[in-house]
Amino acid sequence: MATTHEAGLAALLRLCRADEIGEAQSRGFDPDDEGQDSLFVVRWQGQLHGWRNACPHIDGAPMAWRRDAYLNAEGTRIVCHAHGAEFVPDTGLCVQGPCRGERLSRLELVVIDGELFVTS
Amino acid sequence: MKIVGLESLVFGVDDVAGASRFLVDYGLAPVGVSDRGGRFEAMDGTAVVIARQDDPALPRPPVPGCRLRKTVMGVADEATLGAIVAELRRDREVRRLADGSIESIDDSGFVIGFQLTARKPFVLAGEISNAPGGVVFRPINSLGVPPPGSVIRPRSLSHVVYFVPDVVKAEAFYVNRLGFRCTDRFTGTGPFLQPGGSLDHHTHFLIGAPPQMHGVEHFTFHFGGPSEMISNGYRFVEKGYQAFWGPGRHILGSNWFWYFNSPFGCHIEMDADMDQHDASWQPREATASADNSQAFLLKMRKKWYPGPGIHENGDYA
Ligand code: FES
Ligand SMILES: [Fe+2]
Repeated sequence: MATTHEAGLAALLRLCRADEIGEAQSRGFDPDDEGQDSLFVVRWQGQLHGWRNACPHIDGAPMAWRRDAYLNAEGTRIVCHAHGAEFVPDTGLCVQGPCRGERLSRLELVVIDGELFVTS
Repeated sequence: MKIVGLESLVFGVDDVAGASRFLVDYGLAPVGVSDRGGRFEAMDGTAVVIARQDDPALPRPPVPGCRLRKTVMGVADEATLGAIVAELRRDREVRRLADGSIESIDDSGFVIGFQLTARKPFVLAGEISNAPGGVVFRPINSLGVPPPGSVIRPRSLSHVVYFVPDVVKAEAFYVNRLGFRCTDRFTGTGPFLQPGGSLDHHTHFLIGAPPQMHGVEHFTFHFGGPSEMISNGYRFVEKGYQAFWGPGRHILGSNWFWYFNSPFGCHIEMDADMDQHDASWQPREATASADNSQAFLLKMRKKWYPGPGIHENGDYA
């Protein structure tokens, strides 16, 4: 019989080592092999946050301008590089642009033994 | 008024090095580029100009968050420049800059400039399709597909698309004050506009939008033809840039398109083979919709043909 822990692991998709994403950095992932990154992870004030790569302005719109490039130059905002919407990295709230007041959809992340997983 | 089209677009950016690499990878040629910014030119010298967003020399954006700081249009002669000054001075400030150009503002808050066009004429055949019964053919033994590694360059700055809060007012400014013509229109969305000195279907397209969208939807350069443009887009994707819509072909204007995200807070397009119209053209009107905006849309697939890493019967995944 599977233990709770194993059952939990079965629902997790591995992304990378957690320490591969430094402070104020972002990285996109395509865990389901869709040919385009379906989610991205940012580290903001030490914490990792996972978001669907889908801008609330046009649902499903991919947000980076280059692979893994989801942030402004200072690393203080997530930016949708379609029409420039800006989001707070840890809350996903849009504070400027077409979808002001709307939020990114969060994905739950888990770190186990230094490995970063997203719950599927 | 002989306004011939866009001469340059000026952006303020937060990452000059990243934006520079992006524009070079798109195919533009850097001219006088430093860590403070510079020009990125198409074959005819039309350009995107970038500077640091805190550069005090940059004009103010129409709204905070818009990275486009100025749209510069080229005019054919001094008479046109003089006519624009006289017309715009009736109700707004028009400044003469040290380089002889003039600067003012449109009715949507976009800073606009006009200069004698510095477009460098060149002759280079565009893409030619061989067709049975045709009149014009590619030279015998010349190839239709751009060879791998060949240099593909944008030819000319094509058009800019603004989101504007009052599209009726925005259109009236370009039509009544600057002599643009509406070539076609998306009902309730906005007009495609052609200036008096150009035959291109549009150099401007205006989209009525809520105030928080005020800014730029996209801008684009003309490429030599669909094969060149799509090859260039394919290489761009392989370099890690993010496609948004395309490749496909528009109905109004007939231009081939491929849109990408950009570090300019708007899309950048690659376009090719746009219709040309003169004053005898009667504008069409259509409802903006998926069906009316694309004649067709192609889907990018990395590889299909059986081979290393691909199923022996080909990749149908
Ligand atoms: S799709 Fe993200 S800002 Fe428009
Ligand atoms: Fe366009």
